[in-house]
Amino acid sequence: MIAVDLAPLDGALAAAIVVLAVPLLLAAAGELLSEITGTLNVGLEGMMLAGAFFAYLGADSTGSPLLGLVAGMSGGLLFSALMAILTVEADADQIVSGIGLNLAAVGLTGYLFDHLFSGRPQALVPILGKVEIPGLSSLPVIGEALFSQDLVTYGTFVLVPVLWLGLYRTTWGLSLRAVGEAPAAAETAGINPRLVRWGGIMAAGALGGIGGAFLVVVQVGIFQHQMTAGRGFLVLAAVIFGGWRPAGVVAACFGFAAADALQLRLVTAPVVPPGVWLAVAIVASGAALWRWVHRSRTSDAGGLVWVGSVAIVGVLLYLKAPAVAFPNQLWRGMPFVMALVVLASSRARARMPSHLGLEARRA
Amino acid sequence: MSLGRVGSVAPARLHEAARAAANGGIVVASVLAAALVFVVAIGVPPGAAASAFIEGAFGTSLNIAGTLSKMIPLTLVALAWIVAFRAGQLHVGFQGQILVAGLAASVVALRFSAPMGIHLALGIVAGVIGGALYAGLAAAFWRLRGVHPILSTLLLNLVAVELLAWWVREPFHDPSTPLPETVALPGSVLWPSLSGHGALHLDIVIVPLAAIGIHFLLRRTSIGYEIRVTGANPSFARASGVWTERVSVTAIVLSGALAGLAGTSLVLAGSTPAMTENFEAGYGFTGIAVALLARNSPLGVLPAALLFAALEQGGGSMEGTVGVPSSLVDLIQGFTIILVLVAATVEYRKRQRRLQTAVPTKTATPVPPSRDLGAVS
Repeated sequence: MIAVDLAPLDGALAAAIVVLAVPLLLAAAGELLSEITGTLNVGLEGMMLAGAFFAYLGADSTGSPLLGLVAGMSGGLLFSALMAILTVEADADQIVSGIGLNLAAVGLTGYLFDHLFSGRPQALVPILGKVEIPGLSSLPVIGEALFSQDLVTYGTFVLVPVLWLGLYRTTWGLSLRAVGEAPAAAETAGINPRLVRWGGIMAAGALGGIGGAFLVVVQVGIFQHQMTAGRGFLVLAAVIFGGWRPAGVVAACFGFAAADALQLRLVTAPVVPPGVWLAVAIVASGAALWRWVHRSRTSDAGGLVWVGSVAIVGVLLYLKAPAVAFPNQLWRGMPFVMALVVLASSRARARMPSHLGLEARRA
Repeated sequence: MSLGRVGSVAPARLHEAARAAANGGIVVASVLAAALVFVVAIGVPPGAAASAFIEGAFGTSLNIAGTLSKMIPLTLVALAWIVAFRAGQLHVGFQGQILVAGLAASVVALRFSAPMGIHLALGIVAGVIGGALYAGLAAAFWRLRGVHPILSTLLLNLVAVELLAWWVREPFHDPSTPLPETVALPGSVLWPSLSGHGALHLDIVIVPLAAIGIHFLLRRTSIGYEIRVTGANPSFARASGVWTERVSVTAIVLSGALAGLAGTSLVLAGSTPAMTENFEAGYGFTGIAVALLARNSPLGVLPAALLFAALEQGGGSMEGTVGVPSSLVDLIQGFTIILVLVAATVEYRKRQRRLQTAVPTKTATPVPPSRDLGAVS
């Protein structure tokens, strides 16, 4: 028998995935609300960056990471209010507004940071403590990842199912979705589309702000210029990849976080360890199987051949791991390529909110 | 939608041109006033900041050269935006197209050799084709699979960023340095320098040529007419026999080619002899701000690009001289976009009111400013 060697896939990796996923999940929940109500919020990156900076400012001046979180959320809200004024009140183009806000956020946070914190060594702000859940936190592999975390992470675990329930099991959620799909019909039903869009954008600001703040008050304790490093755009990709459905978006966030965590682990590895090939094989054949089960013509055996061949190739790769090192830059580019591929499939586009403000300038 | 209002109608008549200039002036003045507030807020005397800025942008021949050379990518990206925008196509892929153009140009520069002049021409052609193809990819996704160019270009940008990060670390990395950059490009592929300090190259001639060329293309050629009519009224265009899909794809590809040209300038007339990871320096997005400030007029791009180039150059040097962080420039650029959008809305509403009072019977029910904001204007 061959001993199954899952070298880099251990409890520490699981914990890293969760830590990397939380800011994405928070921001994605906000962006999903914004896109479902019809606003493509390209300014999310700026809102996250504002969240990170104001969280640092808040935590540094008060000494409390919780107040830092609140400050970060306010920073995100500041920018989302601007976004809402521009796109809802002034009817400005959503994309261009978002680009303007992103630039302004880079400028504002960089300017204030350079002015307020230059000339002295950067202080580490206090970090939100971990709360262990007795018993559960000593479970193998997932114990550390899921039950020895901070309050924000637990909050995120609660938020996501609540979001799903809210969107798909309440009239409140129905009205949100109606505004994104058919604003005129929603208005006839007595819903104020402007108000709902405001709500969606402000949710993106608040949650994106907390997501950015999480980077500071949970992950690293410092602020750097442009420290969100494209996470806002990654979240945009995750929302597309997840097909504008909460479950899909959550899966995409975890997938991207897992890819990132693995990438961080593999930076030092000279070649891709066999365990990674096995994991990829399991995930890929699982996805192929899921697709096959969910397709309309299940009698089609071609799909099963696919599943089988993916699994066989994966196992072969595991047994005879090729000595290749996958460049981590290309690895980081994969989520965006995957989002493009998903977008090119007709099913994904059918799920896109019809009034997501793309054809904005067309009458 | 507001963008339609920003400049779907080029200021053909004189008073319209004057109004456009006045509007631009108001935006610029309010942005500079806002910048002054930020400067004063951190305790720098405004006079000192202003003179440091002017000195930094235009004070010495080196600074003037820096300002002019920054005009090149800004002008080209702004023109790229305008060409696509006039055809009714919004895309934001300039960053990615610049980067891919840089990759293509670096292949020609480092993997081939040719005599002076020819090598440069090959490098430029490769870059322009690279930019056009990368834009063509977005156009293909749109035509064949219905993916909106905004979404695809946003994603393609991020792919290109990672591709370049890998490019300058692995296949084209200069092994003699730990920095992520390529081997120094050979002299035969570089634009000839116009000044002793090497801050300005001959590629500055592209700036007026491209602006006038695009102006001519849009105003005086049949494809230019087709682009404008497709953007202004697609159903009218189709009814009058314009193949709008082909025109839109052409506009996107041409737009990518212009962004690609910007990329080749950044690499083949860059401030460093090698291609670095961040040679794009944000021009892919700031160029959009330039186009908006110019109200999508190709000739208006020239003053707008000069202003933004001066901001980049002068703003960068204020940090060293009077201690104003250079991030002020990003802040100003972001504010400019926001203010242009607001100004366009204000102007649109004014025009609506004017129309309403002028011909009350014909516009008895003016379209209310979009109830469903995403799709109606």
